[in-house]
Amino acid sequence: MPDLVSLTVDDRVVQVPSNTGLVEAALAAGVEIPVFCYEPRLGAPIGACRMCLVEIEGIPKLQAGCTLTAIDGMVVRTAATSAKAADGQESTLEFILVNHPLDCPVCDKGGECPLQDLTFRYGPGRTRMTFPKVTFDKPIPVSPLIALDRERCILCYRCTRFSEEVAEDGLLIARNRGARSEIATFEDEPYRSVFSGNVIELCPVGALTSSMYRFDARPWEIQNVPTVCTGCATGCNVTATIREGKVKRILSRNHAEIDRGWLCDKGRFTYPHLLARDRITAPLQRGPKGLKEVSWDEALDAAEEMLREAEGAIVTALSGSETTEIAYALGRLLRGGVGAHSAVLPEATSDALEAFRLPLSAIAEAELVVVVGDDPVVERAPIVDLWLKEARRRGAEVVACSPTGTVQVAPGGSAAFCQGISAAGNELGQRLRNADRAVLVWSGPGGGGGARIAELAHELGFEEKPGCGAFHLPVTPNGRAVAAAWSASADADETRPETISVLVVSGEDAAADPGVRALAEQAERVIVVTMFHELVGGWADLILPATGALERDGTTMNLEGRLQRLRRAVAPPCPDELAWISKLAARFDVEISPHASAVFAELSEHLFQDLSMDEIGLRAALPSRTAYEAPAPAAQPASVPEHGATELRLQRYRALISGPAVERVRELEFQRPEREVEISAVDARQRGISSGDPVLVRSNGTSIELRARVNRRLVEGIARVAEEHAADLHAVVEVVKA
Amino acid sequence: MTQIYERIQELRRKYPQSRSAVMDALRLAQTEHGGWLPPEALREVADALDVTPAYCHSIASFYDMYHLEPVGKHMVEVCTNLSCALAGAQAVLDAFAHELGVRPGETTDDGEMTLRAIECAGGCGRAPVVVVDHVYHEPLRPEDVPGLLQELRGRE
Amino acid sequence: MDANNPILLMAGTQEHDLTRLDEYRAVGGYKALERARALEPQAVMDEISAATLRGRGGAGFPMGRKASLLAKGTGKPTYLVINADESEPGAFKDRDVLRMTPHRLIEGCLITAHGIGSKSVFIYIRGEYAHEFDVMRDALEDARTAGLLGGVTIVLHRGAGAYICGEETALLESLEGQRGQPRPRPPFPPVNGLYGAPTQINNVSTIALVPKIIELGAAEFSKIGVPSAPGTAVFSLSGNVAEPGNYERQLGTTLRELIYDVAGGIAGGRELKAVIPGGSSVPVLTPAEIDTPMDYDSIQAAGSFFGSAAIIVVDDRCCMVQLALRAEQFYMHESCGKCTPCRVGTRWLVQLLTKIEEGRGDRSDLDLLEGVCDRMLGKSLCALGDFAVYPVASYLEKYRGEFEAHVDGHGCPFGGASSIEGTFAPSDQHAPNLAETVHA
Ligand SMILES: Cc1cc2nc3c(=O)[nH]c(=O)nc-3n(C[C@H](O)[C@H](O)[C@H](O)COP(=O)(O)O)c2cc1C
Ligand code: SF4
Ligand code: FES
Repeated sequence: MPDLVSLTVDDRVVQVPSNTGLVEAALAAGVEIPVFCYEPRLGAPIGACRMCLVEIEGIPKLQAGCTLTAIDGMVVRTAATSAKAADGQESTLEFILVNHPLDCPVCDKGGECPLQDLTFRYGPGRTRMTFPKVTFDKPIPVSPLIALDRERCILCYRCTRFSEEVAEDGLLIARNRGARSEIATFEDEPYRSVFSGNVIELCPVGALTSSMYRFDARPWEIQNVPTVCTGCATGCNVTATIREGKVKRILSRNHAEIDRGWLCDKGRFTYPHLLARDRITAPLQRGPKGLKEVSWDEALDAAEEMLREAEGAIVTALSGSETTEIAYALGRLLRGGVGAHSAVLPEATSDALEAFRLPLSAIAEAELVVVVGDDPVVERAPIVDLWLKEARRRGAEVVACSPTGTVQVAPGGSAAFCQGISAAGNELGQRLRNADRAVLVWSGPGGGGGARIAELAHELGFEEKPGCGAFHLPVTPNGRAVAAAWSASADADETRPETISVLVVSGEDAAADPGVRALAEQAERVIVVTMFHELVGGWADLILPATGALERDGTTMNLEGRLQRLRRAVAPPCPDELAWISKLAARFDVEISPHASAVFAELSEHLFQDLSMDEIGLRAALPSRTAYEAPAPAAQPASVPEHGATELRLQRYRALISGPAVERVRELEFQRPEREVEISAVDARQRGISSGDPVLVRSNGTSIELRARVNRRLVEGIARVAEEHAADLHAVVEVVKA
Repeated sequence: MTQIYERIQELRRKYPQSRSAVMDALRLAQTEHGGWLPPEALREVADALDVTPAYCHSIASFYDMYHLEPVGKHMVEVCTNLSCALAGAQAVLDAFAHELGVRPGETTDDGEMTLRAIECAGGCGRAPVVVVDHVYHEPLRPEDVPGLLQELRGRE
Repeated sequence: MDANNPILLMAGTQEHDLTRLDEYRAVGGYKALERARALEPQAVMDEISAATLRGRGGAGFPMGRKASLLAKGTGKPTYLVINADESEPGAFKDRDVLRMTPHRLIEGCLITAHGIGSKSVFIYIRGEYAHEFDVMRDALEDARTAGLLGGVTIVLHRGAGAYICGEETALLESLEGQRGQPRPRPPFPPVNGLYGAPTQINNVSTIALVPKIIELGAAEFSKIGVPSAPGTAVFSLSGNVAEPGNYERQLGTTLRELIYDVAGGIAGGRELKAVIPGGSSVPVLTPAEIDTPMDYDSIQAAGSFFGSAAIIVVDDRCCMVQLALRAEQFYMHESCGKCTPCRVGTRWLVQLLTKIEEGRGDRSDLDLLEGVCDRMLGKSLCALGDFAVYPVASYLEKYRGEFEAHVDGHGCPFGGASSIEGTFAPSDQHAPNLAETVHA
């Protein structure tokens, strides 16, 4: 129980825990202290805008309330009861409005603008400024995603503090001094950070706006639908703004334990893919002249026929981006209806982690965090990267054990590295054992979906310590619940058919997987459920249109193991998956509801102790920990490929800003991974390569030209390339100057 | 470039936290780049200090002594703050402007001299103060201007 | 030492080259350090407190009291930071300490470091002081070679042209490699200063007086000056005096003595019009007020501030509206841009003053000028916002007739003959149109 202090705000006495900020303390007393620059998520208050001026008894000068903390016996007067404070606030507003244009009617922020509101409530109502305002060129792009209108900027430094202190990208800055100060990027290069969109929400005026949303909708003609982002497995809580049946923007809906109100640009800006030109809205069937549109009845007839003829020789490939309900319904149809028990499942998170469950926000409170794995955290679960940064700022030690980490571990070496930590006498292991608040994170392939990190946590005794936990960062948003739902949908063991008669591919991730492609080569027929034509047009026999997450009702489970609710924000341009699965299932005498809530009720019985959808609520709770169960032992790690002295091992990683949806949003183009190969300083020197040089990356007859980037942090012997640029390169490559 | 990288590593060691070296590093880079900081100079400093070029720009643009535009080989700075103004600084500034054929803030066409007015240089007791290539000339009278410029031009 | 005219800070600089270690030692240099190191740290600080050494950087806060606020047991190092950013218009006293008696400052640093238990000292020297930096660097090297540092690291840090970096928290930001913008206080530097650690910050002249306090003892030191502010100050006299320069005198010497007896009176035998006693940032005094003794309390009672003891003397040829405008151009140029009232207000004041000076104003503009000053005063994050108001508000108050003559006569009553007519301010070359209209 923290100490309580008692203070008086505008004659109201209130008790708050010591160290409470004065703005929050006043709120507890029912008094609003108006603010612009204050935003506790951005670090220490800066006291810049002076909107929050209050009178404190015993201090002659007005004080910026936002910079103070409540002290026992403090007597505070705001504008409501102090003429001096009121004058202070009026002064600040007058100064702010000196340069702020009064273009509210054409400003995107109009109607939801803190400056507009506060001017209305506290403002002088007129200006004595008779000189021309500072004016600037009309809005300039800070990136293809964000427009900056410098005239409207009130220099609260929220955006630059976000860049500097939260995203820690150092790309959006204030330049010049005094009245010439302005927000800018270096040489007007685009603000290229996967977190860039947050500055739009942080800006208290209409200075930073979304280029996609600009002039598109007015706040009073929109609806807001609370749902969850499925861009990655973090499961950030979002609000979709809808106008005339279309998604107009995505905003954060601040779940303090998951995302703290931050979103990445993938989650915020990929929604236009729903309207992509090559979106499939009707079923397509392969005929003698290629694919052609067919009616739903024809499509279902065809599907029924294929499935019947297959006599169970069916393999289903799931993406891990399905809702739990779709995966379950598909299972009921295919497993229950035609005995198709064989599946290629997305990488599932190990259940063993449930014994070490923590909210993501616990990372920020940790003293010691150890991250292992080949992939950069930001590419797998960007918000987790922000939590790690916050932990570091709060004084935690964050040990990154990876190819670019503070402790360099070559790709594929993470599992062995974990074993090393748990070995007796390991210094890091000892510190982890001694810590009260330590967190382990697995970020990369292999490792049994976090099983290796769970074993480590177990050996370190984490289940006894409520402040210690472990996370796995999976590549797919709902892989864990999809696998569980598939498995719960029937009671039979998996049998791999000798020959594949029908391959059912669900979703883009599965369709893009090289393993699934290989199966498709073997399969006689392929049914694909997908949103876009391009990926599967060449090899699918029957394509059924898929919906996007913003068009779905249902549930999804994030990487913490928290089940969250998706709410349909817009109607899909085609019947949704549950609708046709239900119909098709009926043909095989399997009864499955077309409604997500009913499907959930059915599966919840097996998986979630009869939890009801309503109980999940707007901000889902985290289930409690379960007892530790040892996971399956590690498979023999694939042997490290042999390579000669002049060769490098190729490390591919899947970039966050990639994939079919992203590729369909022109504005996100600049955020996609550069066409580059990263190599260590030593390897670069040996080859006479400097950053920016064009180089050839070659293996077994494949040769790709990429730009070199020398990464001083990268381990030697590695060439790192984003998946989408690595094409058919093999595991061992040569890098030479082009 | 690698040389500047190494020298900046040395500057970093002067401080408990390496960011503190940014001002020294920018000064060094400015000297190396002929008195101003082109974008590539900011990139070099950023690389050597593990910060972004944008960060370096935000610092450099805050302080008066970093130049983000090209400057002349010699820098002539005339203080025009109160004490110098009371002692006739404007006449000195005018004399320079006349001799050089430029306005304050400009560089001569031959790229030899940049003329600037500056705020108080801390020489108020020997006003008017003129600072030439970081060396104080105090006091400097309008009649001294031609001689000083001649001497400067003759200098290598 | 002349009892009537004690010289402490600059002692020996007339006769010796005190930049040389041997000469500084010859005048008793580093003896105080030896004596202090033989004392318990607390005893050193007690002596400084007993001497009521008030900060020479502007605010006049007692150094000993400041040190007593240093947070203890934080597990972090304690830092000593010396403010050698001296950029206040009219001030040039610290420069003489740096270039003429660098060892006195180093000795003061080492004694203070011993007193507060600090192992690292940072001296923030304004970037323009290139020669002074070199002198300090060489002196420091000599002190190091002579084994005087005793395990203390002294880092010389160079500024790069920003008046605001004289403000102590902006200075810390700048020292940390950030834009020099002030931090909100609390937390105050003694609790949360450089790199988040407890930090003592003092002006060059404050610290350079410390060896003399140890040498003389607090009791002797306190006999000099006035009881509320013992000791001497180096007064920087500039502007229209016959013999401008730095003069070390006891605190409590009157402005009249300083101007007429010390600096030879008004140059060319002209009339005194105005005196700015503490650097451009303090309210102006009229000739009727020059019998005020120059010490913190007396000058404050007279409605101004001691500031940095930089006395700018203005004769009757100067237009006060032009003087206010030129001063305000400085504050507009130096405002860091962090807080609203200062960033916006300084520009607005420049616009208004320009309009009045050019004869385009009317009486309501004078009220507005006053109104904008009121709105700024006491509202900004650091004192620069107030400094930017004092010249304008006080010139307007005390020379209102001259302002009225500008608006009533639609032009400057000096008709182009003011002594500072047409003075070009750097703000114009940085953003030529800033004050007027637009920038892109
Ligand atoms: C805008 C501004 C500029 C200042 N400039 C200086 C300066 O150049 N030198 C200085 O010592 N103090 C300056 N100060 C005062 C410092 O903030 C601080 O009070 C002082 O360095 C403390 O040292 P002292 O106690 O020894 O006087 C300035 C304050 C403000 C608000
Ligand atoms: S752009 Fe917006 S967030 Fe950034 S400083 Fe200006 S007003 Fe603040
Ligand atoms: S909200 Fe307190 S100064 Fe901006």
